[in-house]
Amino acid sequence: MKILSQKAWRTCTLGAAIVVGAAGASYAQTKSLTIGLTADPSHLYPLAGEELSSNIMYYHLYDPLVSRSADLEFGPGLAESWEQVDDTTWRFKLREGVTFHNGNAFTAADVVFTVEKARASIRPDLVASIASATAIDDLTVEIKTPQPYAVLPNDLAELLILDEEYTTATGDQDMDLKPMGTGPYKLQEWIKEERLVLAAHADYWGGAPKIETVTFRPITNPATRTAALLTGEVDVVQDLAVRDVERVKNEAGFEVVTRPSLLNVVLGMDARETSPTIEGPNPMRDQRVREAIIRAIDVDALNKIVMNGLATPSAQYVPESHLGFVEGMDFRQMYPLDIEKSKALLAEAGFPDGFTMTLDATNNRYVNDAQIAQALASMLAQVNITLNLNIMPKSNFWGYIRVPSDNSSFIMSGWDVPSGDAGSMYQALFYSRDKKEGYGQVNRGGYSNPALDDLVDRADATADVAERDAILQEATKLLMAEIPMIPLHYEQDIYGVRDGVTLSPRADKFLQAYEMDVE
Amino acid sequence: MFGYLIKRLIQMLLVLWVVSLVVFLMMSFTGDPVFMIVPIDATEDQIAQARRILGLDQSLPVQYWIFITSLLQGDFGQSYVFRQPALSLIVERMPATVEMVLVAMLIAVVVAIPLGVYAGANPKGRLSRIIMAGSLMGVSLPGFWVGMVLIYFFAVYLGWFPSSGRGETGEVLGVRTSLVTANGWHHIILPAVTLSLATMAILLRMTRAGMMEVARQDYMKFARAKGATRQDVLYKHGLKNALIPVVTIFGLQLGDLIAFATITETIFSWPGMGKLLIDSIYRADRPVIVVYLMLVALIFVVINFLVDLVYTLIDPRITLK
Repeated sequence: MKILSQKAWRTCTLGAAIVVGAAGASYAQTKSLTIGLTADPSHLYPLAGEELSSNIMYYHLYDPLVSRSADLEFGPGLAESWEQVDDTTWRFKLREGVTFHNGNAFTAADVVFTVEKARASIRPDLVASIASATAIDDLTVEIKTPQPYAVLPNDLAELLILDEEYTTATGDQDMDLKPMGTGPYKLQEWIKEERLVLAAHADYWGGAPKIETVTFRPITNPATRTAALLTGEVDVVQDLAVRDVERVKNEAGFEVVTRPSLLNVVLGMDARETSPTIEGPNPMRDQRVREAIIRAIDVDALNKIVMNGLATPSAQYVPESHLGFVEGMDFRQMYPLDIEKSKALLAEAGFPDGFTMTLDATNNRYVNDAQIAQALASMLAQVNITLNLNIMPKSNFWGYIRVPSDNSSFIMSGWDVPSGDAGSMYQALFYSRDKKEGYGQVNRGGYSNPALDDLVDRADATADVAERDAILQEATKLLMAEIPMIPLHYEQDIYGVRDGVTLSPRADKFLQAYEMDVE
Repeated sequence: MFGYLIKRLIQMLLVLWVVSLVVFLMMSFTGDPVFMIVPIDATEDQIAQARRILGLDQSLPVQYWIFITSLLQGDFGQSYVFRQPALSLIVERMPATVEMVLVAMLIAVVVAIPLGVYAGANPKGRLSRIIMAGSLMGVSLPGFWVGMVLIYFFAVYLGWFPSSGRGETGEVLGVRTSLVTANGWHHIILPAVTLSLATMAILLRMTRAGMMEVARQDYMKFARAKGATRQDVLYKHGLKNALIPVVTIFGLQLGDLIAFATITETIFSWPGMGKLLIDSIYRADRPVIVVYLMLVALIFVVINFLVDLVYTLIDPRITLK
């Protein structure tokens, strides 16, 4: 089998070499790349919605003011530089000579327009940290935040700038089909569910892309994606199936590239006095019970048995690259697996015979999510905690568990923070509910701790990044002692790549052809 | 005939109305679509804004009323997820599905009818037994498994066919189809064969059963005695009389494949409309699901009508009333 496909491969490259040789006489060699995605994008208009395939397209077609590198470092994008005028005022100097794909010049008015457009769209969250944006001159924008906010540039990396004239003339519905940005690629052709072809934007401000034509093909079925890679129909596949990893590794001419993702799979615990699925008082109000639960969960076994070794046990709520990460602290070292200790803690807390509750989990959102839930049930059974499983598809899940979470005691979900800042996570998940608009809106367990609220308030009151980091680290230490939520692991992003293609995966999972090259 | 048409039309409208009502009711149990669209950490205000934009802030009866009234004005509603007209989302994916189904049905008929006639005429023959065993496999093997096996054998191992996708297309009467390019045919063979297997097996078994039934009739012996060749007796006298149930099944299968070729489309990443239905169910995208199922109901009604017409051609004794 191997010999045959290698032979076919050689014939292919030979054919390609002849074609290239003939064409090379008059033209420079043009590079092209085909990428197999898990799904067709739903949108090409950044204000119409958000999911991975669409995000990938957005960042090829459009640019944000602040760019986010593959390793979550933030640097100049459409804004060349920025400065803080006072605690709540920022001034962004825009790049000169940038044009949209239609030739329109990029100016401060476009930025102001985008902010206002986003505010009225389905994605007002994109501009939640902006109180107002004003054009000072053609190339200077002043942005005010509602309160001191040290990580405004991180948030701006998600706001993609639209062309005011074109967007107004085109209308929301058509913007999805005829996008127009300043990005490194422009749309050449999109046949739904079949292929989406991007052509290099030669005048791109960051320099012309190395790859001329990029074709994205949606291939939903994982085994078909692998087959398309092996037959040479695509050069790169996203989300290579776990069971195909060994196969592709062993095949000559291909390699497997992995990177831990930002998606932390977490278990949220109820902190209210009574819990919807637990009889009597809620045991999980006691820190010792929460510690007992974390000590009963064998994260390494989950990784080895359920995840095929393709997960990274999480040390804290956010990964190392983020503001608020505390060097050297690790849940697994603080509360290592210890069944006896776990039982003792439960007894101490007054639950020597354990208790019964329900775990709400998805079956089509995270890698092997239903299997993880089953494994958790058998792990917790060892300390006499009976876990009933309530597993549902994601279309039901988000509505079912949402605040005020009147159905849930114990929830498995995922959380990622591509803005590189623990603050947004802590404010949404752990801040007391109903105290402040935009805070605690995802606090499903009703956790409430004035000390934590105070730390988040203080982090959001400083305009200094170092100070914010220090305050958030305090919050991390507090949360790791309190354990309102148990982080399990980060999923691994897996790509299959043919030899000759350079791909260094991004932490945020957004494949970017501008950062890739082919031989 | 005219009265028959009117009766059918009224039936059809009734079916479409019931489908729309059932889907609307069903979808109220499948979760709130707004949570599939807003980010997880959206605030109440942001969720309310999204609801307003999608028209989900109205009560269900009001939403249904709006849906029905705009439907009567030719507006089929907008997908929550794609923010595009639901009907155009379906229609632009339809040619791909229809062409694949037509090729699959062609393959099924061309293989199944002659083999079925043969097996029916020689029920004890060794070849007939092989054919019947094969058809049993065709009925029982799951399509996704057959698809994967075909991909691994013919695409990855032998390299004869591409593993997936639709290939080049050309335009015929404004419709994009891959049936006019060699590359398109190259791409359509594997998915069409996969899709055809189950239908092929069913048609084959129906044809055989019909032929065995008919073979015992006196007119068959009489025709043979009259001096007609065996070939003539089998195909002209026998097959025509055995065909009524086969045509019925053919019609139902055709509708079934057009509506629910989902699995084959997913495996071969064929850009058809079946995949849209599944994706829309996952995303609780009600406008697309409603329009899709109404369209499917329409297709079934039309096909059944055509099947009735075909009956009168095959058997002149049947009239439409």
